[in-house]
Amino acid sequence: MLFYLVRTPKGELVLSPFPELDKPYFEGGSFKEDGKNIEPYTVLTPGVPLAYLETVAVPSESILRALAREDVLKSFPWHWGDLEYLKDYLPGVVVGPESREPNVEIVKSLRGRKLTEDELRMLATSYGLKPEEVWQQAHLLVRAGLGEWVPAVRRERKGWRCQRCGESELEEWPSIYGAAFTCPSCRSLGTSSTLKVIYRDLRTPARENFGLRSLNKTSDLVLTPAQEKAAGQVLEFVQSTLESEALLWAACGAGKTEVCFPAAAWALGQGKSVLFAAPRQDVIHDVAPRLQQAFPDLSIPVLSGASAAKFSAGDLVLATTHQVLRFYQAFDLIFLDELDAFPYRDSRMLQWGVTQALRPGGKILFLSATPDPATLKRIRKEGKIIRLPARHHRRPLPVPVFKKMPDWSRVKDSGSLLSKMQPGFGSMLAALREHGPVIFFVPKISSVNVWTEILKSIFPGWSIAGSYSRDPERLDKLVALRRGDFDLFVATSILERGVTIEGAQVAVMAADHPVFDERSLVQMAGRAGRTRANPSGGVIFFAARETAAIRTAVRWINEQNELARTAGLLD
Amino acid sequence: MSKASIIINRTQELLRSLWYKGEEVCLLCGGQDGPICPTCIKEYFHPELARCQACGKLIARESTYCRDCLEHRGPQALTRVTAWGHYAGGWRDFIHRIKYQAQPRLVQKIAHLLAEWAVTQLPPPDSIVAVPMHPSRLAERGFNQAEMISSVLRWELGIPLLNGLERVLPTRSQAELSRQERLHNLTGAFKVRDQKNFSGHIIWLVDDVTTTGATLEACAQALRAVEVGEIYGLCLAAGIEKNLVSAGD
Ligand SMILES: [Zn+2]
Ligand SMILES: [Zn+2]
Ligand SMILES: [Zn+2]
Repeated sequence: MLFYLVRTPKGELVLSPFPELDKPYFEGGSFKEDGKNIEPYTVLTPGVPLAYLETVAVPSESILRALAREDVLKSFPWHWGDLEYLKDYLPGVVVGPESREPNVEIVKSLRGRKLTEDELRMLATSYGLKPEEVWQQAHLLVRAGLGEWVPAVRRERKGWRCQRCGESELEEWPSIYGAAFTCPSCRSLGTSSTLKVIYRDLRTPARENFGLRSLNKTSDLVLTPAQEKAAGQVLEFVQSTLESEALLWAACGAGKTEVCFPAAAWALGQGKSVLFAAPRQDVIHDVAPRLQQAFPDLSIPVLSGASAAKFSAGDLVLATTHQVLRFYQAFDLIFLDELDAFPYRDSRMLQWGVTQALRPGGKILFLSATPDPATLKRIRKEGKIIRLPARHHRRPLPVPVFKKMPDWSRVKDSGSLLSKMQPGFGSMLAALREHGPVIFFVPKISSVNVWTEILKSIFPGWSIAGSYSRDPERLDKLVALRRGDFDLFVATSILERGVTIEGAQVAVMAADHPVFDERSLVQMAGRAGRTRANPSGGVIFFAARETAAIRTAVRWINEQNELARTAGLLD
Repeated sequence: MSKASIIINRTQELLRSLWYKGEEVCLLCGGQDGPICPTCIKEYFHPELARCQACGKLIARESTYCRDCLEHRGPQALTRVTAWGHYAGGWRDFIHRIKYQAQPRLVQKIAHLLAEWAVTQLPPPDSIVAVPMHPSRLAERGFNQAEMISSVLRWELGIPLLNGLERVLPTRSQAELSRQERLHNLTGAFKVRDQKNFSGHIIWLVDDVTTTGATLEACAQALRAVEVGEIYGLCLAAGIEKNLVSAGD
C-alpha cells in the first residue's frame, strides 16, 4: 500500500493511502461558507510505502527540502498536484470509493485486531469483497481515530523493528526506496516488510450480550483438592491489584487448564475480555471442547493455523500464539499455556505478541510444567508463582531411570553399537512393555524411520510405528496410538506435550543429546502414568553420560513429588 | 541382505543423521544437500530433458522444438529462449518467495548454480538486459526480480548490465488474460532509450518466468527496432511440453 502526503485546504499535512476518501474529514463546512477562495487539495506524488515517508517529518514548507536530503528518495520525481487532476491521472490509486458508508460487519471484525495489508486482503476474500474495500474500511476507522496505520517494519531510534512480532534482526535488501527489510521471524503469518503496512485497531474486542448470559456454569466443574487450592490462588491473582504476571507451575498431567476456569468465569462476569492462548495448534484443539463444556452459553471463537480468517467477536477467545500476534491491546486477561513450548527465538516473538495483545493494566497467567529459567526468574521477582504439584490420581510422577549406553558420537564401528547395548537394551524395553505401550523418543526427525526399523528387527512380533511432525500419516498414527494399537511407538519430542496415552511407558534414546534440555526431558517423562487407570509408569533415559539436563530433570520431578507429598496431595 | 547387516547399515545412517552437522539445507524442500538437493534437481530441473530451441520450454531430449513452436506460435523476434527449471511445485514456490514475500536476497543463494547452468546453454553475450517492470507494480514491490537476477549474473560472470529498455504502458496483469489477449496486451509496451548503446549487441534478456513468452517477445521487438544483434531469452522457469507433464511431475 502506498501513502501520499496530502495538503488539506486548511494547510494541514496528512499521510494517506486514500486521499480522496479523506476529503470530508478535512473540509469543514464553515470553511466554504466564508466565501473565501478554497485552496485545492494537493497531493504529493509519487506514493511511497509508509515506512519511508513517515520519518521525513517536517513542517509543510520544507517537505521537498527534507526529501532532497534523503539518500534515495531525493531522486524521485516529486510533484505537488491537485487531487481533482490526479483522480484521472492515477485511477484506482488515489481515489476512494463512491460510498463512504461503514460496512458494519467489517468494522466489527476489525475490533481489537492488528492485521497487515495482506491479512486485510484475506479478510476481504472471506467476505467476498475487493481488497480495496476492506483497506478503505480500515482507513475510515483510522480517520475516525479508532485505528492507526503503522509500517509493518518501522524505523526506530536504533535500526528497524518488525511491528508484528518485535523482531529486530531483519533481512536487508536493496529496494527502489533504499534499504528495505523483511522480517524472517513471523514469515509463517505472511510477509512483513518495510514495503507493507499494518492496521492497528484501538478499540477493545466486541463483548456481545455481556451480562445477559449466565457465566458461572463452572459450578459443574469437579476439581481435585490440589486443583481447587491452585484455582483459588489463580482467582486471587486475577482479582488483586498487585501483580500483573503470575505463573501456574504444574506437574505434567495435573490438569492445569481447568484450574483457570473459575478465574476466567469471574473475569467474564466483570465484563473483561479474556484470551486463552497456547503455542501449538493441537493444544488449542484439545482445550476447545473442555472450555466450551465449562462455558456452554458462551460463543468461543477458535483461532488457529496461519490463516487470518474471519474473526467473529466472542466473549472468550481461544487462539494459538501466532494468532495472538493479530490482536492489539485487546484483552484484560490472558491465560498463556505451555509458555516454554517454543524455542527461545520464537518465544521472543511470542512475548512481544502477548504484550501487544494485552490491554494496558491487564493480567497474564503463564501455565507451564517446565518453565524456562528466564521466566522463573522474572516472575519470582515481580509476579506470583502458583504450584500445582500433583496429578488427579494422587500418585507421584514417575522418576526417570538413567541407563548408560555407549557414546554415540564416538562409536566408529557402528555395527558394534547395538551389540554392545544388547541384550540388555532389548530386555529393558520388553520389561517396560509389560506395563503398557512404549513411547520411544529419539532426538531427531531423521532418526525416526531408522529406529523404527531397528526396533522392528529386534522385536519382530511387535506392532511398531514411528511418526514425526511432517509425517503425512501422523494424524492416523496418533489415533491408532491412543487406541493402543502399538507395542512401541517411535517419536520426536513433538509427542512431548499434551498427549495422553493410556498406560504409556517412556524410553528416551540418547537423552544426553544436546537437543534435549531439562524441560523436554521432564515433558517426555511426563507422558508416563498419566491416567487414573494406569497411574504409574516406567521412564528410562538411555545416555552415554548423565548430563546437567538429565540431573536437573530428575531433580525437578523429585521436587514436585516432594511438594505434593508435603501438601498431603499424594496417597 | 541379512538382518544383521540391515541393522548395521541403518545404524550408520542413524549416526550420520545424528551427528553430521553444518550441511546447507535445500532452498526448495528444506532437506539436506543444499542449496538445491539432488531430488529437487531431478524433480524441477530435469537434466534429462531438452529445452525448446525457440521458446525455452522443457521438452523431450530427442526433440528440438516444442509443438507450439513447430506450428509457428513461438517467439519471432528472439534468437532463442532457454529456461532453467519447470515452473511448478517447490521451484515455483521459491520464485514466489522472491517475488511476493519480499525475499529478493534468495536470488543470491542460487546465483552460482544459475550462472553455471546459463553458460552451458547460451553463447556469451556483450551485455545483460532485464525485462522492466511497470512503475506502479515496481512501487508496490520495491524491486524488480528480473533486475535482481541480472545483477547476480553480472557478479558471477562479469557481464555488464545494459539499462535503457523501459516499460511505457501500464498493462493488465498477464495472469488475468488469455493467450491471445496476452500477446496483444503487450504490443508497444516497451521502448528503448539511448538506442546507440544497443546496436549490434548480443544480449541476454533476463526475466524470472516465461509462460507464453509474450513479455520476452514484446521486449525483443523493441530491441530489434534498435538493431540489437542477437537476443537470447533467459528465465528461471518455464512450462513443460504437455505430453511430458505426467513424466515430469
Ligand atoms: Zn516479524
Ligand atoms: Zn530439495
Ligand atoms: Zn517452443
